[in-house]
Amino acid sequence: MAKVLDLPKLSPTMEEGQIAKWHKNEGDAVGVDDLLAEVETDKATMEYRSFDKGTLLKILAPAGAVVRLGEPVAILGSPGEDISGLAGGAGAGAAAGAAKGEGKAAPAAPVEQPAQGAEGKGEQAGEPAQGAEAKGNQAALQAQGTEAKGNQAALQAQGTEAKGNQAALPAQGTGAKGGQAAEPAQGDGAEGSPDEEGGAQQGSVGPTGRIKASPYVRKTARDQGLDLTGVAGSGPGGRIIARDLANAAAPAARAASPAATAQAPGSAPAARAPSPTPSPSAPGVLAEPEVRPLSMMRKAIARRLTESKQTVPHFYLTIDVDADALHTLREQINADALAALGEGAPKVSFNDLIVKACAIGLRRVPECNAQFTSDALLIHRRVDISVAVSVAEGLMTPVVRDADTKSVLQISAEVRDLAGRAKAKKLRPEEMQNGTFSISNLGMFGIDEFAAVINPPEGAILAVGQVRREPVIKGDAVVPGRKLAMTLSCDHRVIDGAVGATFLRALRQILEHPTQILVQ
Amino acid sequence: MSVMRYREAVRAAMTEEMERDDRVYLIGEEVGHYQGAYKVTEGMLDKFGEKRVIDTPITESGFTGISIGAAMVGLRPIVEYMTWNFSAVAFDQILNNAAKLRQMSGGQVHVPIVFRAPNGSAKQVGSQHSHSMEHFYAHVPGLKVVAPAFPADAKGLLKTAIRDDDPVLFMESETLYGIKGEVSDDPELMVPFGVANVVREGTDVTIVSWSRMVHVSLEAAAALENEGISAEVIDVRSLRPLDEETIVRSVQKTHRAVVAYEGWPYGGVGAEIVDRIQRLAFDELDAPVLRVTTLDYPMPYNARLEAFVIPQSPRVVTAAKSVLYR
Repeated sequence: MAKVLDLPKLSPTMEEGQIAKWHKNEGDAVGVDDLLAEVETDKATMEYRSFDKGTLLKILAPAGAVVRLGEPVAILGSPGEDISGLAGGAGAGAAAGAAKGEGKAAPAAPVEQPAQGAEGKGEQAGEPAQGAEAKGNQAALQAQGTEAKGNQAALQAQGTEAKGNQAALPAQGTGAKGGQAAEPAQGDGAEGSPDEEGGAQQGSVGPTGRIKASPYVRKTARDQGLDLTGVAGSGPGGRIIARDLANAAAPAARAASPAATAQAPGSAPAARAPSPTPSPSAPGVLAEPEVRPLSMMRKAIARRLTESKQTVPHFYLTIDVDADALHTLREQINADALAALGEGAPKVSFNDLIVKACAIGLRRVPECNAQFTSDALLIHRRVDISVAVSVAEGLMTPVVRDADTKSVLQISAEVRDLAGRAKAKKLRPEEMQNGTFSISNLGMFGIDEFAAVINPPEGAILAVGQVRREPVIKGDAVVPGRKLAMTLSCDHRVIDGAVGATFLRALRQILEHPTQILVQ
Repeated sequence: MSVMRYREAVRAAMTEEMERDDRVYLIGEEVGHYQGAYKVTEGMLDKFGEKRVIDTPITESGFTGISIGAAMVGLRPIVEYMTWNFSAVAFDQILNNAAKLRQMSGGQVHVPIVFRAPNGSAKQVGSQHSHSMEHFYAHVPGLKVVAPAFPADAKGLLKTAIRDDDPVLFMESETLYGIKGEVSDDPELMVPFGVANVVREGTDVTIVSWSRMVHVSLEAAAALENEGISAEVIDVRSLRPLDEETIVRSVQKTHRAVVAYEGWPYGGVGAEIVDRIQRLAFDELDAPVLRVTTLDYPMPYNARLEAFVIPQSPRVVTAAKSVLYR
């Protein structure tokens, strides 16, 4: 018995996934735990392995398709099994299209692809019917020749012809006439699928996740980088047509030119705010931007960071630490390792030391290792530190578990491993979840100091700058020294100013007396 | 410039070309003594004599074949059929000799011949006499097909046809013979093949048309304007070769297209134009391209039924509004 495979939840936060690659083809035998496909989720590219065995009969979501959780991606069953019913039930466009000619496909399949597939067929289906009417009409005309009443009969025939006419005229989806035979999809005998009729719908996403839009709308969206998701289509079957785009884009356009709207009503219509950077090549013509579609990761970053900055009340505390001792310690660790193990000995970075120092500091001030919930504050008993890693498409935050109990060398090796796999998009979701505190370090880019956005549901993030060489006062003398600035972004719902400051004082104490980092 | 009727423009083109080139002659039923079934050739017998204006028996296949032979050996015949419907009798000559000899002779033989006649519907001429024959002929490689809508184009295109070294089928219209328009007196002013004419500019929808239906489309465009819709009307003039560039450029502007013409809906030149639009301007389309055609019946004789079957401007208006989702 064939079954429809739905997109499973491959990461706890995923709501949709993009099929990156199928590892099985239609017709391939599939065993339990065989790799079916790779799916790009908001976090990483995940392996989708089969829970069943059988034959992959049909791929419903081809590579590149974006599928929401629980939506069908494939059909598994025995070779040669009739899957037309399943395909229809799944609202699966491709399957319904493939089942053409079987006549019973998709009782109500208001999807784009069958409509296209049926287009030619619908026309043909329409033709014979029309031909039949033509014959009827001819009969009427002949009758007209011989009988007096014939004329009336012939004129009556107009009534039926009128219908035939509408069928003949490819007056698709005028909607006004109920679109009888207008949308080719109905030519397939798919009876009254009322949602095929015009009328604006919220968004135009069919069950396959494909957005219905006219080619011109798609081109415009590509060129202007517009996201069609959620745009209500007023064309037949909810198709997004040019005027819908104009309506959707209008608010953005207004927002983009506040100067224009701010003008007095009486001002000359031609008056436009002068462009601050007129295009050197063609005055008045703006060069088209390069359009980069949003990756799943970029969408996730946009969603989560917007949510954080808009819903979490951030405040910021900055300290400037004397990093001389820390620098000396790091030099000594790396020199000793080199002496003992030779070339290829693992090196310890400032960041590794800071991760460990933070872990110790959070043990001492656990109120900073905390999370806000609507009912209570959660003070974590574990110290799991998320480390921000820059990757090609954005950034990821793999977690160093129990950093307080690990040695600097362990942390160093783990961070290196996690960062490498993050860049290769091979992190497992659980390796990116349930951190309790984040560290973001831009020192390697020469940044002295910055403030980071909290990574919810964590309560704080430490932004670390570079170790700076500068004159410092030691005793009564100004001597060459090293400084390191850090800014803690705190969720004020959990961490008050004094608590954050207490943590930073502890952190400074540890970093300025860094042997603690080694012995704790 | 002179103002003349369509039939006079056709006559002017033939007269000028026959004066210019004595290899050109006119042949057909009633072209001479009767002065033309539609008075297109009025006065030409007197002017050029029986050797160059030749009345024939009712033998389309015969005088077509003779003229193709004459063209092969250096004359430049203009073959008039009383209507294009009767060319069906000569179809084999046109299809298998006129269209193919150049290719089958490896380019040794050219057939510089013009076939001309009124085409499409007229007024109650019945199902056998109301055919739109351009669809049959435009299908054939080796034939050129033109269908002017205005006197100026009729003259300019017919002169181009007569000077062309290959067979050209020239489609006139019984219902257009009486319309007037400004026509150039310059005997060297030619209208090239394969160049469409934007006869009305607009921004919302492109209506592609030819021959009589250009006038119907202009009527529809005027009606659409009253409803705030700006329609662009293209007269393709030349069906083969076809000026797809002008059509595509227009669709790039309007994003919607209607093809309005006489002829049945199954296949045909209109379907060819729709294919070009969807293929060359796919990304520009905001709606499926619609066609307004003769309905899919043999033409009824009854006047009201005939008017119903022939495409009229309200159907063009409806189609234009459909592609605008209105």
